This record gives sequence, structure tokens and C-alpha cells, in this order.
Amino acid sequence: MTDPHAAGRVGIRSLYLHIPFCERRCEYCDFVSLPGRDREAEYVEALRAEVRGLAARLGRLELDTVFVGGGTPSFVDPDRLGGVLDEVRAGFALAPGCEVTLEANPSSTSDARAAAWLEAGFNRVSLGIQSLEPDILAFLGRVHDRERALAAVDEVRLAGFSRISCDLIYAVPGLDDARWRSTLERVAALGPGHVSAYELTVEAGTPLHASVRRGEKPAVDPEAALRQHRIAVAVLGGAGLRQYEVSNYAQAGEECRHNLVYWRRGHYLGVGLGAHGHLPAGVGALVDIPVPPGAVGLRYWHGRSLPAYVERCRDGSGALPIEGSEAVTAAGAEAERILLGLRLAEGIAVSGPLGERAEALVGADLLWRRDGRLGATAQGQEVLDEVIRQLVA
Amino acid sequence: MRSVLRDDIRNFSIIAHIDHGKSTLADRLLEVTGTVALRDMQDQLLDTLDLERERGITIKAQAVRMEYTARDGRPYELNLIDTPGHVDFTYEVSRALAACEGAVLVVDATQGIEAQTLANVDLALEHDLEIIPVINKIDLPAADPELVRREIEEVIGLPGSGALLASARQGIGIEEILEAVVARVPPPQGDPEAPLKALIFDAKYDAYRGVVVYVRVVDGSVTPGERIRMMATEKEFVVDEVGVFRPMMTPTDGLTTGEVGYLIASIKNVRDSKVGDTVTLADRPAAAALPGYRSVTPMVYAGIFPIDSDDVQELKEALEKLNLNDASLVWEPEASAALGFGFRCGFLGLLHMEIVQERLEREFNLSLITTAPTVEYRVRLRTGEVIAVDNPEKLPDPSAIDEILEPRCTATILVPSAQVGTVMELCQEKRGEFRNLEHQAGDRVALTYDLPLGEIIHDFYDQLKSRSRGYASLNYELTGFRAERLVKLDIMVGGQRVDALSMIVHRDRANLHGRKLAERLRKLIPRQLFEVPIQAAVGGKIIARETVSAMRKDVLAKCYGGDITRKRKLLEKQKEGKRRMKRVGSVEIPQEAFMAVLQMDED
Repeated sequence: MTDPHAAGRVGIRSLYLHIPFCERRCEYCDFVSLPGRDREAEYVEALRAEVRGLAARLGRLELDTVFVGGGTPSFVDPDRLGGVLDEVRAGFALAPGCEVTLEANPSSTSDARAAAWLEAGFNRVSLGIQSLEPDILAFLGRVHDRERALAAVDEVRLAGFSRISCDLIYAVPGLDDARWRSTLERVAALGPGHVSAYELTVEAGTPLHASVRRGEKPAVDPEAALRQHRIAVAVLGGAGLRQYEVSNYAQAGEECRHNLVYWRRGHYLGVGLGAHGHLPAGVGALVDIPVPPGAVGLRYWHGRSLPAYVERCRDGSGALPIEGSEAVTAAGAEAERILLGLRLAEGIAVSGPLGERAEALVGADLLWRRDGRLGATAQGQEVLDEVIRQLVA
Repeated sequence: MRSVLRDDIRNFSIIAHIDHGKSTLADRLLEVTGTVALRDMQDQLLDTLDLERERGITIKAQAVRMEYTARDGRPYELNLIDTPGHVDFTYEVSRALAACEGAVLVVDATQGIEAQTLANVDLALEHDLEIIPVINKIDLPAADPELVRREIEEVIGLPGSGALLASARQGIGIEEILEAVVARVPPPQGDPEAPLKALIFDAKYDAYRGVVVYVRVVDGSVTPGERIRMMATEKEFVVDEVGVFRPMMTPTDGLTTGEVGYLIASIKNVRDSKVGDTVTLADRPAAAALPGYRSVTPMVYAGIFPIDSDDVQELKEALEKLNLNDASLVWEPEASAALGFGFRCGFLGLLHMEIVQERLEREFNLSLITTAPTVEYRVRLRTGEVIAVDNPEKLPDPSAIDEILEPRCTATILVPSAQVGTVMELCQEKRGEFRNLEHQAGDRVALTYDLPLGEIIHDFYDQLKSRSRGYASLNYELTGFRAERLVKLDIMVGGQRVDALSMIVHRDRANLHGRKLAERLRKLIPRQLFEVPIQAAVGGKIIARETVSAMRKDVLAKCYGGDITRKRKLLEKQKEGKRRMKRVGSVEIPQEAFMAVLQMDED
């Protein structure tokens, strides 16, 4: 066994696992998602094989966070989900208090399932509520209704989950400010420790994008998006859910530790269809990723084809089913640090030339600077992408 | 002594309005005469620049020798000189025509005669060319060859019965055209014993051979090794090679009276072989040069600046390289408070300007800002001195100015009579003065106006086309200068004056121009983090104000593990896009904004 401290492996403390299956594909979704469960068994086997392969190459790393996302992981047979976590525990050590999140949709949530998830080892559930308004749910192509959404929150709570997050979407055409406000209030009243509120993003390649382009569905109104963003900050903040990232709100200590790893440019393993990972450069050799000179980190990703993924996990060569990778240069890493870190309320450490570039933006009250850190003000956050474009050298 | 030396030579050109099928006809002639094997044939063979092919226009003149055995059984040497087809290149066309004895006049059977057709016919007639009218595109459903035939008779005054019917695209009537060239174009005349007189009708720069001079030998002959003299520039060179175009350059022992070909003489700069100049022998010079030479002067001026100020040296080198092939482009260094260092360039016209800009960006991979084009004004100072001003920034302080004179031109516009009203309105709006109106065949009207050149170079042509639904055509000729009440219109963006957006306008129209320009800029300048005021001012007085409101919401909603590579690449792409904008003060101004003045009457 090689020294676990070598090559920065101990810097990897997070693991993402992707489950692509869904009851149906949501209109706006651009994650890897496949309708139905036809190939669930073989996919889960492949996923477990990849986890085993990684563990064999990296040694028994200790993890702080595990996140099973999708797709709709809750849609999968709970025993199989349990099997995936068993595999993770076999290959990795879970640190005390390790955050283990499952993404769930109300339509595939029930008392029995919630109990099974807890039993399997999950300790946090992120529920895709999205909306409590029937027309908005229909617009988004969601399969659940308001009652199911509310019931799902109760079910996971009664099963014993203390850490619950609710996902919501705003700026959906037809959603007026009053209904958005009442959605937020109703959800906040359920008492989740965490809420994500996303502006509807019409991503190229989604069914929604095609509909909008053909003029069948209206485009997002940017003014409504701005108002509803402000409403979310106010309503959720009033309910004790502090905005800690552009679209994420939490009670103190309830922030999603797994996602914080992304935004703080931490390292993580990504397993499964379409999953991405971020590794220290020194780890490349262990997972057969080329490391060009000058690389300070590696980002890698999986392909989006299920048969190809399953085939590669199965071929017995022990090679990881990675589709591509890129070396992150020092300049690229700095750009990432800015574009990710300024999304967080805590901001980023600042000194030297970055501080100089930020000066005018600080003066214009778009950024704040104090105690050696730089962050976006409420006003700056609304135009953060442009602020970032000006800051990145 | 003038004598017919070679009665088997025919030198001719093809003249046409843009898009009437000149290049396609040239292609067919090359094919039918076997000059170019069918397998080597590509569209617009004589248009060698990418830009020419793409835009379907001819910018540089070309010459090609074709061998053709006529129906009389005799072999002929046909020299086709292909001419530029745009109003910007009228002088170049005139020199190419001077090298010919005949011209094939191509008229589109669906469009009829247009202003450019007429202008070219006038030029051809000035050079006593035998004109062979060809009614092209007769295969099109909208073709009306009989109407066009009547137009040829009534508008041009050529016998309509002599017009040939053809479709270059379909290959119809091509042999008849070749036969007519043989039968109707006179063979060249000249004195083979006289001292050399060869007309330069074009020149191009070849990186390996220096300047290739396109000539028509009028008298005498020239062979390699001889010392030649350019009569206008008085520069002397030793001939390395002479030859003909078949269509590739093919060396010959010499070029004699009546022949068309090229000569190479270690000439480093196209400026030393000016179009229209006469080549003679240094040891035995001709007594007088051929008539018609004039030095080419630019009609419009604009500043060209690199977006990245580090590129200024590259831009200079690129301009030098373009100059090798294009002597009509003139430039000198210019410094702008807003745009930094660049070059003030003079062009033959707007098309020429567009071509230069496009070639600089494409062939030299530069990102450029071209400021709005302006004409050259004359300014009479209180001291009595008259200075030329080709840049609004160079306008002296009003207190020093006695009067400003603007260049005027005579514009001939052909328009269907149904649209004559709207076109006359346009001319009025552009401060035109009516001169003449003539009814012509085909229910058309020829309008003549005296117009400020400055108005023509802006959006006049586009307006004319849109108001006449594409049917009107324009030709113009500079006539002189006239004092007018002109003022400088300044533009402030974000509170800072942008010198590159200044323009000289008529006092009565300054308010309107200012309002429209400010409005146009508001639409072209993207929202920024801060509100951006745009002001137009004359003599320090604000006459229009617009505001680009601040950006409202621009933030990615979701950014997770999988998005990071994509997000960073998107950021890099957006940064690249920003590099296409010029930062003036704290405002980022896109390239198009500097040309806003050209499209003020749109939308």
C-alpha cells in the first residue's frame, strides 16, 4: 500500500455519484437523464465497479461528503441505492459526521422509501419541489403536484431525516411575484434547513429551449427574474435561511458541504454517467489521466452514453471509464477561484493585482472588500457574471 | 504611321452593371475557347481574390489570352481584359478600356440598363470602342429581351438588332459572342517601328517576382533585357521577363504592337507602375505619353485602429503589404484620444474601404475599428489660407475659420418612374439640388442631381436601393467644392468625448443627426454595469441625450461540479468577445458603434 498522503490524495474528501434515471425528462433539464428504469440493474453494477476501481487505485480515502445526484436517484430501487453506499463504504472511509445526500423527487418519495434511504446510510435529502403551483409544474414538465410535494417533505422528516433541502425554480413564465412569494413562504414554513432557489435557465439542447425557440413557450422575463430573486433573498432570509450562495439559502450550519467543495475549488471524485471530477495534479498518474507540465489541477468527466459507460466498466481492464480531462493551469485556477468563489457570501481571499482590478467595482458598491476578502454585494451579485468578466485577467 | 500589323488580334473587355453576369460570361468564353480545361474550371476564374469570389465582384483587372478558330477557318488571338465593375473603380475601368478596341456590353435581360451600364458605355464610347451588346440571362422566367433590346436602342443609341441573346449560366449564345468579337471588333492599330508605348492598365504584386505590370503595347515592342521608363513617375527598370496570360503567366520572347500581356522588371512597389502610365524605352523614349493618365485621389477617408493597441505595428505592416497590390490606398498615422494610435486612410469609395478593412481582418488576422468615413473638406481660414480637412478632428477652431467648403458631385440616378417621387424626396433630404429629369425607354427616369459627396457616401446608396425596391441605380462624379454652413458634431459617451465619433454635418441638420446618432449608439452599446449617458453636442451645446441603462441581472443560476469546465470556457469566450470592443473611459464600445453614422436612417 502506498503512502496515502502521497500525491495529495488526502486532499480528495468528496464523492459524487450520478444516477441518470427519471420518470420522465423535465423540460428544462440538461443533466444526463434517461426516462424509465430499463437498464437500472446493469447501470448500478457498472457504477459500483467504477467505485471499486477508484478505491483500488487511490487507496482507502476518507470522505467528508457523498452526494448521489441525478437524474432522479429516488426513482431507483432503494436496495440498489443501499448497495451503492455499501460499495462506497467498502472502498472509502466515511469520516465521522460525513454528509451523505440523496436527491429525491416528490413523486418517488414515500414513507417506506424514506425509511429505506435512512437505513441505507443517507443523512440528507434534497427534494426537487420546484413549485407548488400546478400550471408552473406543468410548464416545467414535472410529474408531481402540490400535495405530493408537501407530503414528501413530511415523509422524509417523519422517517428521521433532520437535514432536508427543497429545490425551487422561479422566473418561470406565468409565475407572478405574489405566487412566488407564497410558494417561498409555504416552503419556508415547512422548516427545511436548506432551500435552493434557481432562476429558470433555458439551456441549449433541452426540450424547453426548442419550444422557446419555436415560439411555443415564452422566454424568461429578465425583470421578473430580478424581482423574484430579490423576493427569495428577502422571504427566505426572513425565515432564517441565509443566502450563502447565489441560489442557495441555509440555516447556520445547514449549508450543503458537498456543494461548498465545488465553489471553494475543492477536489472531488465524480462517478457515473456524465459525472465530473476535480483532482490534484499529483493524482493523475494513479487514474491514468495525463498531467502536462504546468498543470495545477485536473478536471475530468464521463461520457453521456449509458451503453458505452456500462461496457467500459465491464471490460475488466481496470481502466476508469473517463471520457475526457483537462489540465487546469495556474491562470485557469485563478479564474475558477474568482468565478466560483464570488458566488459565495464568504467571498474569496484577495491581494495584489486582483485587488487592483477590483478597486473600481468596490467603489461602485458591486463588490465589498474587508479582512483580506473580496465578495459580491447584493447589487453586485445580480450582475455577477459581468463583474467576473471584468475581474478575470 | 498607323498600320494594321496583326489582323488576327482582338482586344476586348466585358462591361456590365454589377450582377449582370460579367464573370460568368468570362468563364464560359474561357471554357469554349479551351483556354481553361473544363476540369480546371471554377466559378469566376478571373476573380482571384477570395473576396471577389465570395462577393461576386471584380476588384482587380485581369487579362487573358484565348485562342479561337473562327467560322472563317482562321485562328485568332483574343485578349479579354476583365475590368472592375464598381463605381469606386471608374478610373481603373477607363484604363482597361483604353487597352481595348471593343467591348462586350452585358445587360441583364430581367433588369435592363442600369446607371452603371450607362456609365461604362459612356466610357467605352469615349475610347471609340466597338460595343457588342449582349442580353444575358434570357433563360430566366422574368427575362424580357425585347424590352431590353429597345432600351439598348433608345437609351444607349446602339442598333438593337445587333444585340446578341445569351445565357452565360446555360452556355447559350457563347459562340455567337466570340464570332461577333472577331467580326465586329477592329484589329489593333499601331506602329511597330515607333518607340515603345505601352499602356499600364493594372499591376499586381507577387511576393517572389515583384510587381507584375499589365500592359497593352500601343506602338513598338518590348523584349527582356531592355531598359524601360515609366513616363509619369520617370522611374527606370530593366525588363526581366515579358509574357502573356493563358490564363497563367507564360513567358514570350517579346510583346509587340497590339498585344496584351505582362512585364516583370524587378519593380518593388506598385506605386512605380501606376495605372494609366505609359511604358517606353529609356534609350529611345516616345515623344509623348499616352493620354488619359491621372493620379488617383481618394474620395473618402476613415481612421483604422487596432482594437488591441499593441497591434499598431502589425497594422502598419499589413497596410504596407496591401499597398503593394493596391496603390490607390493611402494612409498616414493618426492618433485618437479615444482609440489610440492608428492610421487615417483614404479610399476610392465605400466598397474599397470595406474591402480593405475585410482584407486586413481576414488576411492579417487583425481586430480593427474603422471610424465613420468622411469626405475631404476644404477650409478657408481667416488668414485666407485654404487647407484640406479629411478628419473632423482636424477642423480648426471655429474662430479661425472663414468658411468650410464641401465637395459636391453630379449624381445620375436611373429609377423606374413609379419610384421617382420617393427618390427625389431622398435627394432633397440629402441636400441635393435638382438638375434634370429625363424619361427613358422601359418606363424609366434618369434623374440628375447636384449632391454633397458627404451625403452620398453615407447611407445614400442603401436608402436609394431600399426606397426603389432595389431598382434604382447610381453613378456619381466629383464636380468641385462649395461653401456651406457646416459644423462639427461631437459625441460624448459616459461623459467623455469620443473623437472617433465626431462628424462634420450641415448646421440645419445637426440636431436631427445628433438625435439619430445618439439613438443609434444607444442601441449599439450593450448594457454595462453602470448607466452610460450618450450625448451629442455642437460647439459645446448638448443637442441630444440618450442613456444606456445599467445591466439588471446577469448571473448564472446554477454552477456545480459538472459546470465548472464549461463555465470557465464560456468566460474565456466572453472575454474574447470583449476584446472586440474598445474601452473608452469605463465604457466598452463595440466595433459597430463606430460605423453607426452609416446606418442612422435604419430602423
